[in-house]
Amino acid sequence: MGNKQTIFTDEQLDAYQDCTFFTRKEILRLHGRYHELAPHLVPMDYTNDPDCKLPLALIVNMPELKENPFRNRIVESFSEDGMGNLSFNEFVDMFSVLSEMAPRELKAIYAFKIYDFNVDNYLCKEDLEKTLNRLTKEELTPEEVELVCEKTIEEADLDGDNKLSFADFENMISRAPDFLSTFHIRI
Amino acid sequence: MEETVNFMRLLSEESTHSTLSSDSCEYYQTEIFDQLPSIQASRPEQNRHGSLGGCGGSEPGQRLSHDHLSRGPRDKTSVQPLRNLPMCIQAKRSARDRRKMQISNIGFWESWRRSQSISRRRVWAQMGETLSGLLPWRHTLHVIEGRFGVGVKSYFVFLRYLVHLNLLHCALISGFILGPTTFYGRSNNSEPLRFGDNDSVLDFFLGSGYLDRSPVFFGFYTRGSLDLPCLNTPLLYLAGILTILLLSLIMVVRRTTVGYKHTWMLGKRYSMNVSFKIFCGWDFTIQDPDGAALKRSFIRNDLKLFLEEQSFSLRAAQRTLGQKVRLYLLRFILNLLVLSLLGGAFYLIYFSTKTSLYEKEHYWLLSLVLQYLPPMTITFVNLVLPHIFRKISSFEDYSFTTQVNATLVRSIFLKLASLGIYLFFLTTTKQQQSPFQCSENKFGREMYKLCIFNFLATFCNAFLLNYPRKLLQEKYPTSLLTRLLGKQRFLVPFNVLDLVYGQTVGWVGVYYCPLLPLIGTVTLVATFYIKKFSVLRCCVAEQRMFRAATSSVLFHLMLLLGLVMAAVTLGFNLYQPGTTPDENMFSCGPFRNGETLFNVTGLCVDSLPGAAQTTVRYLASEAFALPLILAEIIILTSYLSRRRANQKAIERLKDMLVMSSSDKRFLVKQHATMLRRGKNVNRVRSAEDTPPIHWKDPPPCI
Repeated sequence: MGNKQTIFTDEQLDAYQDCTFFTRKEILRLHGRYHELAPHLVPMDYTNDPDCKLPLALIVNMPELKENPFRNRIVESFSEDGMGNLSFNEFVDMFSVLSEMAPRELKAIYAFKIYDFNVDNYLCKEDLEKTLNRLTKEELTPEEVELVCEKTIEEADLDGDNKLSFADFENMISRAPDFLSTFHIRI
Repeated sequence: MEETVNFMRLLSEESTHSTLSSDSCEYYQTEIFDQLPSIQASRPEQNRHGSLGGCGGSEPGQRLSHDHLSRGPRDKTSVQPLRNLPMCIQAKRSARDRRKMQISNIGFWESWRRSQSISRRRVWAQMGETLSGLLPWRHTLHVIEGRFGVGVKSYFVFLRYLVHLNLLHCALISGFILGPTTFYGRSNNSEPLRFGDNDSVLDFFLGSGYLDRSPVFFGFYTRGSLDLPCLNTPLLYLAGILTILLLSLIMVVRRTTVGYKHTWMLGKRYSMNVSFKIFCGWDFTIQDPDGAALKRSFIRNDLKLFLEEQSFSLRAAQRTLGQKVRLYLLRFILNLLVLSLLGGAFYLIYFSTKTSLYEKEHYWLLSLVLQYLPPMTITFVNLVLPHIFRKISSFEDYSFTTQVNATLVRSIFLKLASLGIYLFFLTTTKQQQSPFQCSENKFGREMYKLCIFNFLATFCNAFLLNYPRKLLQEKYPTSLLTRLLGKQRFLVPFNVLDLVYGQTVGWVGVYYCPLLPLIGTVTLVATFYIKKFSVLRCCVAEQRMFRAATSSVLFHLMLLLGLVMAAVTLGFNLYQPGTTPDENMFSCGPFRNGETLFNVTGLCVDSLPGAAQTTVRYLASEAFALPLILAEIIILTSYLSRRRANQKAIERLKDMLVMSSSDKRFLVKQHATMLRRGKNVNRVRSAEDTPPIHWKDPPPCI
């Protein structure tokens, strides 16, 4: 397939192919996208695993994420330091989980992380209110927001602690018919 | 001094009163909380945010069992494909290296099997992607979804599904019916296919003359050179039609159950509507700001509709007795009105059928109009009455979803019953036969005319009603007419009903008009483009989104009812004893000259070997039917009772879960309290004897 690329070693590409849902071509294309976000920061040669992280502000301006109300949370959930700075590994990981081929269980785990704004492993009422406000851009009145959040917790909470644990969330998502089709980003 | 611990159980209501701060303080930051097995099990996901930091964390299966032959429940993560694990890439890489080392312990056979399964999965994924890429009109559907929402898109998805269904029918027909006729020819005394003296272009609309002798209708197909007892053209014809109906039944039932298992089997108690709207509401593939704004408005309208329904049910529960009585009276009167409208419509159809069947030779235009009178009446009735029903249901004070469903039920009844009445009058009225015309083709002709007229109506509706209305709104936005009509919206329920009605006509007519699926395919594809034009150019997005779930059940029910009606009509037509032989009529088609369906199948059965013959005769007799019905009833009853038992088990498990969760909270709080008290006591004691030593207290909370 044309000239041999020098960005990754073959072994690295094999590892990427095994650990993500992308093929070699797509990994190289992803590297191109990562590179064009900050051409002076991102090296073209990744054979010795350089330690390069791009800040949150650059990543959320990508066209695929720009209009997403949860873009900040998405990037934060995949970053190691929790602040949204992504290395190339984390960048690939993010798009791999959000791709069409990722299974429902994996997507549910990360969806839970994304919607968990205060990172306490539970979706409490405040998390739900924030989610709702991001979704509707605060066009609902506070009473309406309150009502909807209460109804959500009432529907999905199984163990009666007034917040959604991961088990509750996964149980609810497993019944959702269009979770897989909405929760994916094509890159 | 022993303190008696109070063993009173905390009821779950207490937890709903507790606020977040006190709960999290006393509960989540206790030492014993970290040691709970349920928290330990979720550790690998917590590693990212926990104090362990870094990208560590081995696969849970590894920590708990190094022996890859053990059959614990966690074991499956160690054999899950790497990419499915919720870890960061570094961790996955190290897991991969570990697995590679493990693989060297596994034999050659195991590793070969694994690599085979991996490559097989890749091939499947590739094939799946290519197939979904082949689905036509993907881009159009995406655009429509972006501008009008999921409801309108579902109409077009349904249309595409019907196109595929009709294509499948075409394939079956060409295999079972057209193929044998092409290869084995027809019988010697059948008429050749060419333009005669009396043929004209009108024949394409009336289904007579040239078309009467063409492969479009039943009369064309005769017993050709393929003449074995069990493999001849008539039997293949019948087998083809039966296969079509059976396959349609399977596909429709499958489509009905696949999507809606969860909604109606679980009942209202476990409906998750709002949660789905919040967590699966946003489409992550949206990239342009207009699409995002539209999606936001859809979600907001959806939620507002939900809130409206909540307040409606609140209001409905607060109705006084007097209001209720008045409301029920009003509903009763309106239902009577609906019934009288339906009765009037049916009478109109009866009248037009009578007029059309007894028309004599007239001027050609009048004859055309009279021949098309029944389809015109039916289409007119189907066009006007549903809108009237919609207006009526808005007076009946139902919630929005119930209004839509009530209108739908009435419209479904209207369409199916009007078609049924038309078919009834067709089959029961004796008609004057013109010579040289096939009597069996009469039925097929009427279905053909219905189909053609449906399509013409769609065409005229789009170009003579929708487009001028849009032009009117653009040029004269403030005129009286514009304000009266309002903005043009794409009404999904009525359009889907039209589609289902067209498909029902296709099924009813396929026996007497085998090329009807082909005509159906062509008209459906044309309808797609016409409706696409109508939606994208003439309509605006509807503010009140109609809830797809319950209405979809109704649509599929109508599809099923249509199929049943087609089967009943077919059975009636086949079982009817042949019309008295008349010298002026000649019969045509595969079953002619005294050869009925039963003769032909009887011949086939007689030619089978002895054992097969007795089996077939047994299967067709009553001695088999009765036990079969009994067995079905028993199976259904067992499913129903199992469902009831499952529901009870779900209730009990849910209660158990709530109880044990509050038990856990209580115990953790008690443990923390006792620990703190013990530490305080120790501190006091040690403060007395020794100089104060700073103990490590649990994190202070307010």
